[in-house]
Amino acid sequence: MSKGLKIFLKIWMFLGFAFLYIPILVIIIMSFNGTAYGMFPFKFTLEWYPYLFTKSELLPAAVLSLKFSLTVAVSAIIVGTMAAFGMQSMPERFRKGLNSAFQLPITIPWLVQGVSLLLILNLLGIGRSYFGMFCGNVICVLPYVVMLVLGRFAMADRTPEAAARLLGAGPVRVFFDITFPMIVPGVLAGGMMAFIVCFNSFCIQYYLAPFGVRTLPVEVFTLIKTGYKADLNALAALMIMISLAVILLLNRMGYSGTSLFAAGTKKGKMHHD
Amino acid sequence: MKKEKKKNPFRIGSLWAGPSVLMLLCLSLVPLIMLLGFSFMNGNIMNGVFPGWTLENFRKMFSGDTFSKLMGKSLGIGALVTLICIVISYPIAWGIAKVAKPHNRSMFLMLIILPFFTSQLLLIYAMMMILQSGGILMTLLNKIGIASNGTSILYTPRAVILVLVYEYLPYMILCLYTSLESIGDNLVHASRVLGANTFRTFVNIVFPMSIPGLLSGILLVLVPVCGSFAESALVGGPNGMMVGSLINSQYNTVLNMGYGAALSCVFLIILSIIMGVIRLLVNCAEKRIGGDTE
Repeated sequence: MSKGLKIFLKIWMFLGFAFLYIPILVIIIMSFNGTAYGMFPFKFTLEWYPYLFTKSELLPAAVLSLKFSLTVAVSAIIVGTMAAFGMQSMPERFRKGLNSAFQLPITIPWLVQGVSLLLILNLLGIGRSYFGMFCGNVICVLPYVVMLVLGRFAMADRTPEAAARLLGAGPVRVFFDITFPMIVPGVLAGGMMAFIVCFNSFCIQYYLAPFGVRTLPVEVFTLIKTGYKADLNALAALMIMISLAVILLLNRMGYSGTSLFAAGTKKGKMHHD
Repeated sequence: MKKEKKKNPFRIGSLWAGPSVLMLLCLSLVPLIMLLGFSFMNGNIMNGVFPGWTLENFRKMFSGDTFSKLMGKSLGIGALVTLICIVISYPIAWGIAKVAKPHNRSMFLMLIILPFFTSQLLLIYAMMMILQSGGILMTLLNKIGIASNGTSILYTPRAVILVLVYEYLPYMILCLYTSLESIGDNLVHASRVLGANTFRTFVNIVFPMSIPGLLSGILLVLVPVCGSFAESALVGGPNGMMVGSLINSQYNTVLNMGYGAALSCVFLIILSIIMGVIRLLVNCAEKRIGGDTE
């Protein structure tokens, strides 16, 4: 590669990253700004952070979203791990079919997913409810868990299981003593991903949340639509930091950016990493 | 035969996938199929009572030009956003795959995946902060003298495009990266040694080999962009309507759910055709370069 091209690529990369990160950095800086509407002059203050945790209307929404996403993530972990485990003893054909069926909830636009679920819930007389919102979010995050756990199964050496069975261990014992420890990283990564995706999933919650109940994404949507809130900057800064922490943690667990992305977008190329 | 038996010792074990299969059926497949039924529904479901059938929804959709206009506009915005993403992403993906040092590479990838783990609304909000009149960009442009005071592209369709590019750029970069990374350095080197210049190497080697990544990137950007409504609602202003906004309004303001179902149905069918074609092209491209096609 010629030198000129290299320099061009480096400059281009720098500009690209600047484009991606300047808005995020501005939010973080503005969360320390005392002047209203994120404008100049910049006056340093820390007041928004205590405000966020004491008086802000965002706090109840954030707490609700945390609890809700945790419930969804745990449910998705249980059902998804069971699915990935079951898929191991499926004939190739069924496994492939199920694999592509799992892509459905994340391939179709969430707008359509939300709308179709809302209609069916209305027909059943349930309508907008916690139950509906729970179902809608679980089905949207389940694929992430399944993909990440399946990836773990594909990597794992399966001989210890066979050995344990030969030595007389029952299926339950084999699962908890050997299989489960083997796939724990996949389960954890899937759970974290499920949590984050659910925590941020605006569209589904916008359609299925009970009337009057505002999860964080819905609350943020309403806030941005109606006006500016300085404590939103503080919350955004915190949330970005948490996302960054989760990514770093996943990276320590051996999931690179591309492998997470492959699982998240079901490109099914886990074995490349 | 023997090998297969060894691989699948407990067929009964597949039952563990039962709950997921059931959930996929009840929460994804059945609602989608029923959406088609709901699109013939006359109005709204009240207290679980079905209001009856009608063809009015489809007549309404195809007689006026609101739907076709907005659908065309959404596809246009989708295509434009995808194109901009490709142009910006290509050099970045190539740079990360081939120019960046290996130990920096994983850091770059993590930085790119961060937006995927961040709320879409926060990304929109961040962009709004930059763009607002009196915000950082406009103050800066004003100081230089490019923009006059108090103006901003916020609340115009251009802002929608900018925000969408910002949101979906990481998807395109990562898709292209996966493809470009797998191109062997030897191949590029061989082409250079045999006398091809940079441009010919790109046209004959690099670009054809990146087509699978490019196509899956297009798939990942085009589909959600066409279906977006939050962006146009927040930064689009009065002229920012997209087909997603039209569908959304049937559920939140106009409250004509039957019509909304018909709209989403046709929208989904159009998108599925586009997705199908792109998938087909991906498979062809992967076969041509001899990659694995799963």
